Amino acid sequence: MSIIVVDNVKLNGRDGKVILDGITFTVEEGDFLGVLGPSGAGKSSLFKLLNRLLSPTSGEIYYRGKNLKEYDPVKLRREIGYVWQKPYLFGQKVLEDLTYPFRLSQEKPDMELIYKYLAQANLKEEILAKKPTELSGGEAQRISLIRTLLVKPRVLLLDEVTSALDTENTRAILDLILREKEEKNLTVLAITHNLEAFNFKKVLYLNAGQVKYFGEGKI
Amino acid sequence: MSNWSLFLSFSLVILAMLVSKKEKLFLEKDLLVGSIRAVVQLVAVGYILKFIFAQNNFWFTTALLLVMVLNAAYIAGKRGEGIKNSHLISFGAIVMGLSVTLGALIAFRAISYKPSQAIPVSGMIVGNAMVAVGLVFRSLKQTFRDRREEVEVKLSLGAPPREAAFSLIRESIKTAMLPTVDQMKTLGIVQLPGMMTGLILAGANPLLAIKYQIMVAFMLAGAVTVAAYVASYFAYRGFFNEDFQIVS
Ligand SMILES: Nc1ncnc2c1ncn2[C@@H]1O[C@H](COP(=O)(O)OP(=O)(O)OP(=O)(O)O)[C@@H](O)[C@H]1O
Ligand SMILES: [Mg+2]
Repeated sequence: MSIIVVDNVKLNGRDGKVILDGITFTVEEGDFLGVLGPSGAGKSSLFKLLNRLLSPTSGEIYYRGKNLKEYDPVKLRREIGYVWQKPYLFGQKVLEDLTYPFRLSQEKPDMELIYKYLAQANLKEEILAKKPTELSGGEAQRISLIRTLLVKPRVLLLDEVTSALDTENTRAILDLILREKEEKNLTVLAITHNLEAFNFKKVLYLNAGQVKYFGEGKI
Repeated sequence: MSNWSLFLSFSLVILAMLVSKKEKLFLEKDLLVGSIRAVVQLVAVGYILKFIFAQNNFWFTTALLLVMVLNAAYIAGKRGEGIKNSHLISFGAIVMGLSVTLGALIAFRAISYKPSQAIPVSGMIVGNAMVAVGLVFRSLKQTFRDRREEVEVKLSLGAPPREAAFSLIRESIKTAMLPTVDQMKTLGIVQLPGMMTGLILAGANPLLAIKYQIMVAFMLAGAVTVAAYVASYFAYRGFFNEDFQIVS
């Protein structure tokens, strides 16, 4: 059974503008799917639909055979984790952002795990004491990714998580993502313009709200 | 003070009108209309209060308080235009603020539930609760607009609406409480409140007047907090739909 099924999904903006125009595709558990397409194609909007921050105007989305609408939104969002294109950190200190997932699940923060992710993302522990405004774009991006990983989702939606990173850090983040994926058998959907580094085996290519290509191989 | 002395004090309004005329402030008519309205309204209220106080009937007093609350709830509710159930919420919040504080004052035997005490005290409570509820609504509307991204990011991590809006709720309660807290701090220094001034002028012992004023300060702090708390914890729900998405 496919883990995600998107069936003829349409999404209109508040102004009635067509954002997604009849999208259909499926994702298998353990997939590493590239979501590609020009700016404004509707990639981020698709991820927001999967994370249920938006609801389709028409069409259906299924997760593990059950319609998204039938899930408790809170549980679903913890299963299908979304890393925003523009990292937004809300804590007074970075530490607060990284302990937030534990606060939500009412657990004691697992500092070992936080330190492990920081090290793998090439970040120093001192960053925890910084204010979000004191971070560089690339640092904020990595913290935002770690924050979603700490929710322990089964599906990861990565929206250009390496766009502000240099080659070396892109490599570190990709290694981190792929290691997590293997260890936990995650399903990963990633929007990126860096095809070379991501090296997808399967891609979904969107343009103007429509699927232009879906399948194996590279574009 | 005799009625004659009161009448003579109207000369001060005439003085104001003369200044207005000479300096071309064009306020003569407003001053005249304003002072006539003040006289008519206050005289009417004076007679109404005299009548009410004479009734001293539990149900009658309660009905008057209800009218007071309904009016205040309507005005505060209008501040919450666009928020679901804003009138109902402001009614509930003001009723809670009033019953908790008035109930406490009566239980502590600070005042008794007779019209001459319950009505003026409730007037102050309801008025302040109304302002507080209006501030809660305004603050929530503004922060949900300005900090939408923060709320959405938290939702996307799997925060339930109340958790995602937690800091906005907190800020709205704080915004509503601050004026009262600031007022408490400056009581007696920057301002001699109207109630105390009135009591002292009427010949009450300043120490007694102060006792009442302290009670008023405490009771308003309580009323404003309860009303703001209740209002914010119901009002935030109106910003989310059943899919836990922010409604625009
Ligand atoms: N809330 C919204 N209301 C109306 N239109 C929107 C909204 N969000 C996005 N859009 C529009 O929908 C279209 C798709 O936006 P989206 O962010 O999904 O594109 P994208 O493929 O992620 O682009 P980019 O690569 O630039 O991030 C754009 O034309 C955008 O202007
Ligand atoms: Mg995008």
